[in-house]
Amino acid sequence: MPNYLPREVKRRRVRFTTNRPWSAEFEKQNQFSHRNRVYVQPIKNWLFFKGDRVEVLHGRDKGKQGLITQVIQERNWVIVGGLNWHFRYIGKGEDTRGMLVRSEAPLLVTNQVSLVDPSDDKLTKVEWRYTEEGEPVRVSLRTGRIIPLPFAAEETHDYKDPTSYLENESKDTKAADVEAITFDPSLKTFEMEIMEVMDIKEDRVPKKSYFY
Amino acid sequence: MSSRLYPLYQKGNPQLRVFLPNFFMKLLRPTSNQPPNQVKFIVSNGMSKYDVENYLDKIYDVKVAHVSCHLQQGHTKASTKGYIIKDDDFKVAYVTLPKGATFAFPDIYPEQKEEEETSEREKTIKQIEHSFEELKKRNKNRPDVPGWFTI
Amino acid sequence: MIQMTGVRSDLMEFFDTKKHWGERDVKVGRAWKIDELRLKSNEDLHKLWYVLLKEKNMLLTMEHDAKEECRPFANPERIDKVEESMNHLEEVVKERNRAYFLLETGTSGERTGEEFENWLGLPEYRQHEEYPVPKEQNKEWYKAQEEIPTSSDYEKKKFYSMLRVKQRKDARKGISAQRASVHETLKNFPDTDLETLRETAPDLTPVEFDKIVERVRSTNWENNEIPREIKMWNGQFVRRRQMTWKKKYGH
Repeated sequence: MPNYLPREVKRRRVRFTTNRPWSAEFEKQNQFSHRNRVYVQPIKNWLFFKGDRVEVLHGRDKGKQGLITQVIQERNWVIVGGLNWHFRYIGKGEDTRGMLVRSEAPLLVTNQVSLVDPSDDKLTKVEWRYTEEGEPVRVSLRTGRIIPLPFAAEETHDYKDPTSYLENESKDTKAADVEAITFDPSLKTFEMEIMEVMDIKEDRVPKKSYFY
Repeated sequence: MSSRLYPLYQKGNPQLRVFLPNFFMKLLRPTSNQPPNQVKFIVSNGMSKYDVENYLDKIYDVKVAHVSCHLQQGHTKASTKGYIIKDDDFKVAYVTLPKGATFAFPDIYPEQKEEEETSEREKTIKQIEHSFEELKKRNKNRPDVPGWFTI
Repeated sequence: MIQMTGVRSDLMEFFDTKKHWGERDVKVGRAWKIDELRLKSNEDLHKLWYVLLKEKNMLLTMEHDAKEECRPFANPERIDKVEESMNHLEEVVKERNRAYFLLETGTSGERTGEEFENWLGLPEYRQHEEYPVPKEQNKEWYKAQEEIPTSSDYEKKKFYSMLRVKQRKDARKGISAQRASVHETLKNFPDTDLETLRETAPDLTPVEFDKIVERVRSTNWENNEIPREIKMWNGQFVRRRQMTWKKKYGH
């Protein structure tokens, strides 16, 4: 057994990309530390969510509108479905022609993309405000209309939206059972109550011990 | 229970009871020279063989004839950058079941499902090949037209 | 109240239900929230703990086997969900026990500790240990105390001065990193909101921050590039790359 000091060798700062942080591609991209540091503009209140209609202000698809399919907040990025394609060849050599692959390039939230007012489908500046009930809503500054949060923003790995989730019969607890109140406060510790329920009798008194 | 620290043993004290055990056990696939009444586990490093016996008896209702444990050192390997990488140590327990009882490791990956998956994959590959050949046929008599040009 | 999946008392409980064998995707719900567990009686919590423990053992078994056999393991986040609910459950139990002990004894009932000065002269926290006899009668404890390494006041002083140098160096590193990040973000994104940017650099003084902003805004970054061509003494324009000695004269 070699002598060793327990220490973890780890990258201090990761570079976020379009690949998910737990994927093998992400790990491969972060193997080498010689890449330049990325500076991201700090944003106070995030406004862009999955499923939002936005207009592209930059690149080959300038002026077109589309729906957000992916949000990468670490880089202030947004990917708009079907817009801002970039093309590259995979496996291109001297003899082989390679395969042309296309994917959507990310767009910066700060100046390359803008939210769209739902009333007239034209771009606006947007702000977070509160309703009279105290709920935060996004408001279009040009027309004063509320821009509702899209349904797709609630989508997770397990369901499209929480109401459409089908329960796994063998694994999940029923909602009624989760909400049922069975707690009955009593002047006992957890251990005392369990011993009472399980009918364990313990008459031995613990001896005195000292903590220092 | 509030803290998971082991209390001091003093003769005549009440019996030590663990109400919420946080030990884990995982059942492993048998090695080649393992008798059918023996089961291999990886358990928490803090478990003794009596803990393993009680754990199986009280929680899983499995009677145990004999348990033997050993702490196995994690694998070490030298990296190319001049440091050593060592995995964590782990505890292995061999549990012998009582007379007459045997345990066979189930076939968790049924072949039927695998075949379905592979056949589906092959089907999609064939479809792609077929569509590509059809695309090639269209421009067969027009050699000066690029491959993506179709009407 | 907790749904049980048919009570099997067998080693087969270490494996998933037969329906999920070889499956690529097993969808399950979320973890138990702490507020939901607060509604449950101690008996229910005790039962739920064992349901979760068995589920965790099952998932660990399946994950290990999948790794050994080079197969995909369906939805590994299930383990995180189970562990999260177990942590929440333990927190609720601790909460209830603490309330009982505070009512009955006035203390939290958990093991006490103290802060002491270690052999380097630094403050350190130590949890008290349990002994059958009080400190005054415990000769072994005093003997063990003598074996702990000590250091003289001079050594402590020297160590402190060197530690302070290191701390100051680290602090300076942090400040210069913040200064660089403010400079670069402003350079790349001139219309950044200054107040949010100021929050990202808490160690910079307001005067220093304003100085950086002024410096970045006063420079014209478009004309500040390194010139590609340089005017020679004879009025000729020469490309920067050709200037290198080796290329011009071949040695």
